[in-house]
Amino acid sequence: MYLYDFAIQNREIVKLVYTAVIGLICFLIVIKTNRLFKLSLHQGIRYFRNAFCFYGLAFIARYIFSVACYFTPNQTHFVIAKGVFEFFLIMAGFFLLYSLLWKKFEPEKGSYSSLFNKKTIIFYFLSIIIAVLDILWGTYFFMFALQILIFVYTSMISYVKYKRSEKRSFLGLYFVVMILNLVVWLSNFIVATFLNWHKSGLIGIYFLNIVIFLLFLYAVVRITRKTS
Amino acid sequence: MAKKRERLRVIKDILMAIRENRSIKPTRLLYASNLSPQMFKEYINELIEKSFVKIDISEDEKKTFSLTKKGNDFLEEYRVIENFVKSFGL
Repeated sequence: MYLYDFAIQNREIVKLVYTAVIGLICFLIVIKTNRLFKLSLHQGIRYFRNAFCFYGLAFIARYIFSVACYFTPNQTHFVIAKGVFEFFLIMAGFFLLYSLLWKKFEPEKGSYSSLFNKKTIIFYFLSIIIAVLDILWGTYFFMFALQILIFVYTSMISYVKYKRSEKRSFLGLYFVVMILNLVVWLSNFIVATFLNWHKSGLIGIYFLNIVIFLLFLYAVVRITRKTS
Repeated sequence: MAKKRERLRVIKDILMAIRENRSIKPTRLLYASNLSPQMFKEYINELIEKSFVKIDISEDEKKTFSLTKKGNDFLEEYRVIENFVKSFGL
């Protein structure tokens, strides 16, 4: 209870710590998966790594802008921070989805560049449009709507893969993580739209998001741990 | 009908065939890889390009393939890579 009261009273500090923790988790996941990609040249691992690279960039950008806004509150800083954060976050969602779907759209050998090819250009284009629309309307609605769609789709795909797989342990966990992601985005939408960014709701979302990223990290570390 | 081998699996099979023989002639490797000549050429060229495999040419100008350190590392980590891909459904 004491921790909860502290978190409510010091929301900005909690936000900074939350942002730094998630940024660090993403950094660790990128390092682990990048090593595997360099060895295997597997496109799925590549897109998975890209997703966490963009999540990391989103949270690092938000951390930097939060610090800047804290010391020099300025409307332009807020707008840029929001746009950059949204752009990276949407790109991360797209890459996570595409890491499950890439085999349907490109040969196993894959494209020369995973950051700039015909498919990812569409992601960049959509991400910019969504971020700009949210800035113009002064809302987060478009990002929330898109993220909810993305995670409904990723949940469905991971469920199908889980059901088809013979060895189910981690695919089951992955499906649960996707569902939790969907819950976070739905909660974000409800708290922002109907509860006027209620503090307790936001703290709950921060907590759940940290749990999700820790689960991702747990799975990555557990699987990449050498079995000698 | 037999299921098509995943790309990772094909690479592992080629590298294993080379490792088991230390160095291996192209024709023997083609048989061991169980690929069509066209597909074999594509895979072996990629493996050479990515420095998993190197070509050794003997004095009588006969070619053999052998593994590089990177190729050996791949085989050591193959189970981890395969497990990762399956676990995340990638």
